[in-house]
Amino acid sequence: MKALKDNSLSLVFGLLLLVTLIAQALVGLADYNEQALIAGLAQIDLGRYVTSSSFMVDVAENWQSEYLQFTLYILLTVWLVQRGSSESKPPEDAGLGDDEQERYGEFAQPNSPAPARAGGWWGGMYSFSLTLVMALIFLLSWAAQAITGRVAFNEERFRDLLDPFTLGEYLQHPDFWNRTLQNWQSELLAVGSMVIFAVFLRQRGSPESKEVGAPDDETPR
Amino acid sequence: MTSAKVIFACYACFIVLVLAAAFVIGVAAR
Repeated sequence: MKALKDNSLSLVFGLLLLVTLIAQALVGLADYNEQALIAGLAQIDLGRYVTSSSFMVDVAENWQSEYLQFTLYILLTVWLVQRGSSESKPPEDAGLGDDEQERYGEFAQPNSPAPARAGGWWGGMYSFSLTLVMALIFLLSWAAQAITGRVAFNEERFRDLLDPFTLGEYLQHPDFWNRTLQNWQSELLAVGSMVIFAVFLRQRGSPESKEVGAPDDETPR
Repeated sequence: MTSAKVIFACYACFIVLVLAAAFVIGVAAR
């Protein structure tokens, strides 16, 4: 029971992810088959749909934008601040910080992660590992969106008896950029509004918020 | 921290498997 409580945040988000992904597959299949019916094409089953580029492009285009959002947020909050926001460091703390603050190298504790104690290139990589991994998932998801998006787009072109696009042609097509930018704008709005809303609004008990009674111009550490 | 490591591995594997599947499906033009 303690393990469940200690990990409830990641477990609940993981379960919600699985439920919504299954729901997306079911309604996506219904939508796909409706379009196929209108076009006079064969219906497909769930197994065929979840292994189709049509399903995968919808998954990948949302993944890439989420990981871009978090990559940018993790990286930009090193140097950029919003005075008064619980999502920001205090303005005087902007920057990478020194080894003592970061408990790195000679300032590491006995139970600090091994790379933080070791320093050098290993410690250097570890110091940026969260950003590096999030950025890698963003780039791979964006590439997956491009590759599967081309196939899904070409399927629509086949229905209209048009020639298929190469990957290079698809990357210059509005369909690729429309899928990309419609996700980016929503993520950037959500993050930007969260940063500034957190200055003036509160959620009692949430680590994403300041304390209810904290002054608006106080930036928590 | 053992249970957290298991959850970490589950998330990482899920992401790797879905992305790998997407590349295979896209390259195979399914």
